[in-house]
Parts: sequence; structure tokens; C-alpha cells
Amino acid sequence: MESQDLIMDGDLQTLGLQSILKMLALSGKTGTLFIKSGNETLSIALKKGQIVALHEDSVGQPDLLTMFCLLNRLDPSRAQAIREIAQDNLQISLGVLVEQGWMSPAEMQQRLEFEVTQSISHALRWVEGRFAFHRQVIAFESRMHPLDVDSVLLESLRQADEWEEMGVVALTRSSLVRWLPEVSNDVRSLGLNQDHIEVLCLANGEVPLQGMALALMLPEARVARIISRLVELRLIEVVDTALESELQQDLTNIIIKSQHTLVQQKQNQTPEQHLLGLIRTLSDSINMLLIHHGTFAKSLRGRGQLPIPEIIRYLERRFAQPLQLLAKQQYPIMETATFANGQLDCREILHLDRLVKGEQLEEFYWEAARGLATFLRTVFSTLLNDEVGNFHTGRQLNTVWKAFLTELDREMQQYQIYRARQHTQNARGPQTDPAYYSGLHWSAVHHNEGNSLWSSETQRRSI
Amino acid sequence: MIEPIPTVLVVDDSPTVRKIIEMTLRRERIRVITAEDGLSALTSVADEMPALILLDIQLPRMDGYTICQIVRKNLQFRSIPIIMLSGKDGLFDKMRGRLAGSTEYLTKPFDSAELVSTVKKHLVGWQQRVPMQYEGMRTRLRRRG
Repeated sequence: MESQDLIMDGDLQTLGLQSILKMLALSGKTGTLFIKSGNETLSIALKKGQIVALHEDSVGQPDLLTMFCLLNRLDPSRAQAIREIAQDNLQISLGVLVEQGWMSPAEMQQRLEFEVTQSISHALRWVEGRFAFHRQVIAFESRMHPLDVDSVLLESLRQADEWEEMGVVALTRSSLVRWLPEVSNDVRSLGLNQDHIEVLCLANGEVPLQGMALALMLPEARVARIISRLVELRLIEVVDTALESELQQDLTNIIIKSQHTLVQQKQNQTPEQHLLGLIRTLSDSINMLLIHHGTFAKSLRGRGQLPIPEIIRYLERRFAQPLQLLAKQQYPIMETATFANGQLDCREILHLDRLVKGEQLEEFYWEAARGLATFLRTVFSTLLNDEVGNFHTGRQLNTVWKAFLTELDREMQQYQIYRARQHTQNARGPQTDPAYYSGLHWSAVHHNEGNSLWSSETQRRSI
Repeated sequence: MIEPIPTVLVVDDSPTVRKIIEMTLRRERIRVITAEDGLSALTSVADEMPALILLDIQLPRMDGYTICQIVRKNLQFRSIPIIMLSGKDGLFDKMRGRLAGSTEYLTKPFDSAELVSTVKKHLVGWQQRVPMQYEGMRTRLRRRG
């Protein structure tokens, strides 16, 4: 779109979507309004202040025909015939349904209007983002009669409120649900109402929440509530594939990086360096996980781009208490690790060598390493449970995480064995070898090819 | 008809790396077999004839360069693409990998999306390569006979 066509632009914090739409409607403007928050974009075409079409970039076209088949409203052979003509275009599909007399023109208008309301209702919940209004109207295909902005806004705000009233929910518009394989009893005996049964009919793991809302003409928040109830009844499970795939990729990359750092620190020559390397690896891994959770936490996702202070507050609220408990009950050194900008600050631990030396320093480092390892476990299990629960993705990630923890534990054990040997030596009598504390002893153990105390890969990597 | 799926052999001594690659590639409908050292890697190559090998350089007993050279010298397996995995990203190591016969080099820590795209790039035409390997085996048998 040409830049000279731009009439106005700005950020949503200064001027909210509701105000922008009202302003454009009042002045009877014609053009296209673009709203962007995070990776979501909404385009609304206006003619003389009325909504004539709407397009959402991040959302795929809902397959209404399949949904009608699942609801027994349409014969699969008829659906196939329409699909061949419409090529998955919702507007054309609806048009054919009307032409064939399988849907009334009033229902088509109602459905198109409902889709617009749903999309605007979703965008009204965006806190941060940009908007731009261009004088040019993008030629979106639309069979919809122009809509009055005020009535659309009224319904959209009502639906947005419904989402807010639900509080923290694990579901987003793209959430997919499917029947649990264990379900074998007759669901009619559970006393479910018509809406619940229809949602169950659509729960094939392919229809997103937003699509269900469109097919059933129920607000998305209400569908989310029904899904939550059905999940509670252990009839269905949630599968948000797009989100889970992104989340899985991000967590996988963090584990790869953590494992790589762990391998790198094996090359350290002295026990102090080894422990310091472990502390760095652990604190880096914790911080990467915290950044990840700031994006994928259930209560933060699906709300567009959020202000950073809100994310920081959330992370500290969630993890500061377990850290304090850990310091109080098990590892007092962890009191020196604090939260700063949603990240764990371990600088005081890393600079302990300025205050203490020798055996005492090693003692402090060892306590910190154990404390951080425990905290890392807490962070990961909290995060995974919150983000994906015990669904398929959660189980897969847990397997990978356990493999990483095995490698981490092996590294910790190496030091424990070294300590045990050191204590045995001390118990045998006064040390005659001054090199014992200088790190040479560690180095000798570390580099001893035939020493069974070291794992084969540790021996190999240190050559 | 069931669509054939390619098999990728992952050779790495780290259980974390093996699990991650296995999980990532399985999602792309790629069968994954794993080996944690050079000897079991060579056994898997002979038994399974993988469509591609992801090979860590630093392995216990036999390093990745040696394994790569052995595979390349074998008429039956020489056309299998080998992607070297290593924490070393220096030019010397890349050159050494190339000289040993590797197809590509992935530096650790790699990005899972990068891993998938690299693997997919080298899996193009894998079905044509597998019969070639069988052909190689037949040639050798004929020479012996």
C-alpha cells in the first residue's frame, strides 16, 4: 500500500481500537484499518464509516463444511461438492449453501457478522500494538451487508468481557481439543446440554476453538468454558498444535544450549573452576527458562504483546517464593541470588572469590551449585506443568529434560566423588602433599584416562 | 499405499542431544535410530542403511572423522549424506570434516528449526539413493563371485 494513502497511525496504548473505530464511523471514513499486536494482524475495510469486510492474518479460514458434517447438518458428499467449487473459501462456501437452499440468506449474514464480532472482540483485548488507517479499501471478498460499527462494538465488548470474567484460562482461540482415548461410556448419561454435546461432536483435534464458536454461533469465551468443563469431566484433552510446536521448539533450543554449556565447562582444570562453570551453566539455563516462560505462560499468552513490567511481575510472583524457601530451608547461599528484571541474578555467588578463598570458597560454590540445580528443576517442572501439562508435548519434553538432568547429575556426582576422596585422604592423616589443595589433585583425577570415576565422555573431552 | 519414510541415524554420546534430535525429527515424519559411540554407529549403518547420518565429532573410542572416512570408503554406503555435529566452529575443523567426507557441518548449539531444514535439504531424493546402495552391494558380490 502506498505511503501517501496513509491517513493516520499510532499505538494502541495512546488510542484504543474502540476509540479508533468510533472515530472512523462518526466521520464516515472509507479505507482500511490495520491493527497489529505481536504477530497478529487484523485488517478492517470500512465504507462510509461502516464495516464491509474483515481479514485476520494469523488465523486460517475455518472449515465450516467439515464442521457442518461433524454436526450432522450437511452430508459429506454435498460438502465435497461445495468444497470443489469454493476451494476452502468461507465466503464462497456460504454463498453456495445459500444458492442450494441449505442455508437461509439471513443465516449467512448472521454468520458473517458473527465472524467480524469475534475478531474485533479478540483485538479489543490487545494491550500493546500499532494501528494504521489507509484511504484505500483492500478488495477482500465479502458477501456481507455493511455493518454498523456501534452495534458490532457493543457485542464485541460484551464478548471480550466474557473472556475477562473467565480469569486465567489455559485456552486460546487456536486451541484444539480431541476426545480422550479412554472415553468409552455413553456421554448421554452425563447429563450434558446441547451446546456441550455439539462441542464434543466438533472435538476431533482439528477444529480450533475459534472455528467451533463460528460453527455453533457461540461466543469464543462460552466455547472455552464448555471445553474447560469437558476437560474436567475427562472427556477431551486440549491440543494447541501451533502454540505447542512453537513452545516445544523454544524449549528444545534452551535444552540444547544448556547441554552445550555443560559440555563446555567440563574442560575446566580445577574444582573451583568446575563448580563455577556449573553455577554459570545452571543460572544461564534458569534465565533462559524464565525468558521462555515470559512468552508462553498460560496467563500471559493469547493477549498480544504485553508490557515488559507485567511479564517481570508475573515471573517474580511465580518464582521468588520457591527461591526464598529454598534459601531458608536448604541452601542459605541462595539468599544472595535475587530477581532483577525477571532474571535470576547470581553475580554475588560468582564473585564470592573476592571474599573467601580455598576450601571455604569451594564449600560455598558447591552449596550454590546444588541450590541452583534444585531451583532449575523447580522452574522447569512449574513451567512445563503450566504451559502444556501432561499432554503429549509435555510428556515428550519431560523425557528430553530427564536426559539433560542425567548429564547434569553426572557432572555433579563427579565433584561429589572428588570431595569424598578428599575427605578420605584428610581422615587418613595430615596432608603431606602441598599440591593437594592447589588443584593439581583435581587435575590429575580429571585427566586420568583410566580412572573409572570419570565418565568416558568426560575423559575423552579433556584430552 | 503406505508412504515410505526415511531413516536418520543420530550418533552422539549425549543422551540429551540424541533425545532432542529424535523428538524433533519424528515430528517431521522421519524415523530416527541412535548410536552413542562409533562402533554401534557403524553397526547401525550396516544393519539399517539410513538415508542420512547426523554425526557428532567427539565420540568415545572412535571420533566422528574416522567414522565418516570408513563410511565414505565403503561402496555400499558412500552416498549417504553425513552431517557433522560439533561444538567446534573453527575453519580448521570444518575443513577436516570436509576432507573426511562430510556433506555438511552443523555447529552446536544448533537451532532445532535449522536442524530440520538441513536434514530435509539432504533427504531430497533419498529413495533414489537407497537402491544405489543396494546396487553397490550387488556389484561387490558379483566381483567376489
